[in-house]
Amino acid sequence: MTTVEATLPAPRSRLGPLARAWAFARHHLLSLYSLLFFAYLLLPIGVVIAFSFNNPKGRFNYTWQGFTFKNWSQWNGVPGLTSALWLSLEIALVASLVATVLGTLVALALVRYRFRGRGATNLLVFLPLSTPEIVLGASLLTLFLQVKFALGFISILIAHIMFCISFAVVTVKARLIGFDRHLEEAAMDLGANEWTTFQKVTLPLIAPAILAALLLCFAISIDDFVVTYFNAGNRVTFPIFVWGAARVATPPQINVIGTAIFVVAVTAMLGNVILQRRREVRA
Amino acid sequence: MGFLHRHRGLTPYLLLAPGMLWLSIFFLVPLGFLAYQSLQSGSIDFGYAFTWAWGNYWDAIRSYRGQFERSILYAGIATVLALVLSYPVAYWIAFRGGRWKNLLLLFIVAPFFVTYLIRTLAWETILSDNGLVVRTLDHLHLLGVLGSNGRVLSTATAVVAGITYNFLPFMALPLYVSLEQIDQSLIEAAQDLYASKWKAFLRVTLPLSLPGVVAGTLLTFIPAAGDFINAQLLGSPKNHMIGNVIESKYKELLDYPAAASMSFVLMATILAAVLIYARAVGTEKLTG
Amino acid sequence: MTDQLTRRELLQRAAAGSAVLTLPGLLAACGGTSKAGAGSTTSHKLAKTLHFSNWTLYIDKKGNRHPSLDQFQKQFGVHVDYTEDINDNASFFSKIQPALSSGQSTGRDLIVMTDNSRYPSLLIKKGWAEKLDKSAIPNIKNLIPQQQHPNWDPNRDYSLPWQSGMTGIGYNEQLTEPVLSMGELLGNKKLKGKVGLLSEFADTLALVMAANGDDPSKVTDQTFNRAIATIKKAVNSGQVRQFYGNDYSGALAKGDLVATMAWSGDIVQLQADNKHLKWNLPDTGGDIWTDNMLIPKGGNVYTASVYMNFVYEPKIAAEIEDYVNYICPVTGAKQALEKIDPSVANNTLIFPTKKMLDNVHIIDATALNNEKYQTAWQNLISA
Repeated sequence: MTTVEATLPAPRSRLGPLARAWAFARHHLLSLYSLLFFAYLLLPIGVVIAFSFNNPKGRFNYTWQGFTFKNWSQWNGVPGLTSALWLSLEIALVASLVATVLGTLVALALVRYRFRGRGATNLLVFLPLSTPEIVLGASLLTLFLQVKFALGFISILIAHIMFCISFAVVTVKARLIGFDRHLEEAAMDLGANEWTTFQKVTLPLIAPAILAALLLCFAISIDDFVVTYFNAGNRVTFPIFVWGAARVATPPQINVIGTAIFVVAVTAMLGNVILQRRREVRA
Repeated sequence: MGFLHRHRGLTPYLLLAPGMLWLSIFFLVPLGFLAYQSLQSGSIDFGYAFTWAWGNYWDAIRSYRGQFERSILYAGIATVLALVLSYPVAYWIAFRGGRWKNLLLLFIVAPFFVTYLIRTLAWETILSDNGLVVRTLDHLHLLGVLGSNGRVLSTATAVVAGITYNFLPFMALPLYVSLEQIDQSLIEAAQDLYASKWKAFLRVTLPLSLPGVVAGTLLTFIPAAGDFINAQLLGSPKNHMIGNVIESKYKELLDYPAAASMSFVLMATILAAVLIYARAVGTEKLTG
Repeated sequence: MTDQLTRRELLQRAAAGSAVLTLPGLLAACGGTSKAGAGSTTSHKLAKTLHFSNWTLYIDKKGNRHPSLDQFQKQFGVHVDYTEDINDNASFFSKIQPALSSGQSTGRDLIVMTDNSRYPSLLIKKGWAEKLDKSAIPNIKNLIPQQQHPNWDPNRDYSLPWQSGMTGIGYNEQLTEPVLSMGELLGNKKLKGKVGLLSEFADTLALVMAANGDDPSKVTDQTFNRAIATIKKAVNSGQVRQFYGNDYSGALAKGDLVATMAWSGDIVQLQADNKHLKWNLPDTGGDIWTDNMLIPKGGNVYTASVYMNFVYEPKIAAEIEDYVNYICPVTGAKQALEKIDPSVANNTLIFPTKKMLDNVHIIDATALNNEKYQTAWQNLISA
């Protein structure tokens, strides 16, 4: 079972031309809807991008005042903004990786094995999701203070991994349930040990879930404000900077950087697709 | 690995250990502090002391029932909307996405890269009383659909729309993840078997994607019920949710025991809702 | 981990349950101990570093530098670890409160909090603020007279103003007749659903009380209830759209609000893009709020005091003011600024006239820390 490639429904000769036309329309209906959905999803990004070229005379970037490249050429012109961005990127990268690994292991245990304490484990996975952020952040800070743990990069990282794990567990679980165990059993019957089976069979099958969990954790981490604020000491992440600036200014450079992250991520993913395609062509 | 073979019973615990240890230390222990705090009484001026003040819980339920109910309602509507909106797209990416799948997934989480506040400011620009949406409705003489206010922003609709939008990835990604593994030939077989595509979908595809539906609804509903930012930025004073009350209890009133006990009531409410839901869809699907 | 637990710490941990007692070692092993903090000291020796937390974009800047901080370092050899991590008073207080209430250092020597919130007076009342070393601040003589005796810190023993702002009414003159009174803001039916109030208790209360003919600097149950009733009526009639934090400025700029309670400093910035936005003190008076420098418990008093003295030099104050554009509390800064940037020096929203200053109230600080009032207010804005 390989990943499903884009396949048009196989032509079925039984269908008359009318029905085929209807099927064709419906086929495109779904595509059309999906495009609309993405337009809706990316609409605010469009506004953000547009306003990165805005030329406000005051410090608030609220209404359209004219076109300029100035914000892009002076992307580094707001003290504190770039260092905040780098901090956020580092944290999001590490936190999403660690949380996804830990979450995947937990999901494997939960779906694959019958063991004592499954109920409690499930509860422990859902509880962090239902805890209001403010008390989550404050009580974690209490812990750090109790043990006199220095607040900064590490404490932010710990917090982010903590609230990302549950998202990873639930996402990967959605894949593992309804997963065909026979493939693994077949591999084992053929003499592969548990580790080899995991590497060669299980991992490729759950790879899409792992990627989804990574993306989700990255997004949650880079967007978090409340929990981070409590446990950041005097470090400033990108969201903390943006929320803080809002009282006196919304510099267009915030939009520039938001746009840049978006463009870089999309380009990287696009490059990956093209690279894969070339390899396939060569093969 | 030989060790694991001989002690198969240990494997699940080894897999669980790192993640569960992390959650135990950095979530459960702090939760213990929170529980301790929730039973304190006193005031910020004279300090808080532990007194088994169960009354805090009673006060939380009695005084803020409206906000609790509103939270569950808004989160519930937003979850259903998110499910209906994103299912077709998850299906489309899973079966028609081809090599572009990962790129499309990235687009789903991309809005998160620009920070909540900037995203919301962008929505405020779009939905503003002089913005694109309201003006279009005006041109079409459809302002009536907005009710007596004639506006989108600062209404319950805006709050629910905001929650829906901001939690879409939590719904779409798990849906995709479980749809993507369904064998295409199975669906085609079903389409041959049943008269209509729709019936085939209901009988085969939907049941097979149920784990994704369950995961998505949980990841959307649970955090949404505790959300406060959407109500604060997009709502009016009459749309505040329990998350807003907890915020103000903690930050403005400095009534830490009240904030703590209300949080526990919220968690209990959410878990109760989840349990009812789990019953409805079948426990096995939920807990795997 | 400290080797010796104090009795207080021991009690706290025991109370928190046995699980905690085993944790410190575990955590300390992976993270190390927190830095000792600046350590409260009365010695007249400068620290190497001054840890200064301020609001975002609230100090002079040139490119990626803060010239006034560079100058301070050059002059005194003290590096300023300048962090812009104050977003709003309530969030910042809740962030430092756990450290302060457990007797630990916040890791900061200087913070800035607003007196229209309850927190500066609370810090002093709880003993969480250090007394200034006035012997190191001869420039305190430059503090403008109106700011010398706030009732929450009558002799400025603990605090010095950083910047101030006035709360009044902002409106868009293209969309409405001038809105010059609170009565009109809350009662003019033409503005229905297009009016904003501030969620900051002190600002809204002060303006409404003044409009009711009551004295905001002496809040009583009777005058408080009258003010709440006035606001509630306007909310229930649909006149008021929302209670805003600093997000009202976007709503005003985009036209979702036609008239709103507004801070003077924001309007200076918004007017740069839209000259139709106007700002006035209501006929019955506005209110003035001040962001105050405070030294949190455990901060280095001498170094922080030397820095305060530095920014009270009119020339330095003028440099900062030229960028910040709020109201400067330093006498002589206006004259110094006239030489660099006359347009700023002559803007009455930045250097208000005496007449304006006579028409602003300062809210009764005791009312801010009255639980009953706070609860009533929160229930009103978060119904």
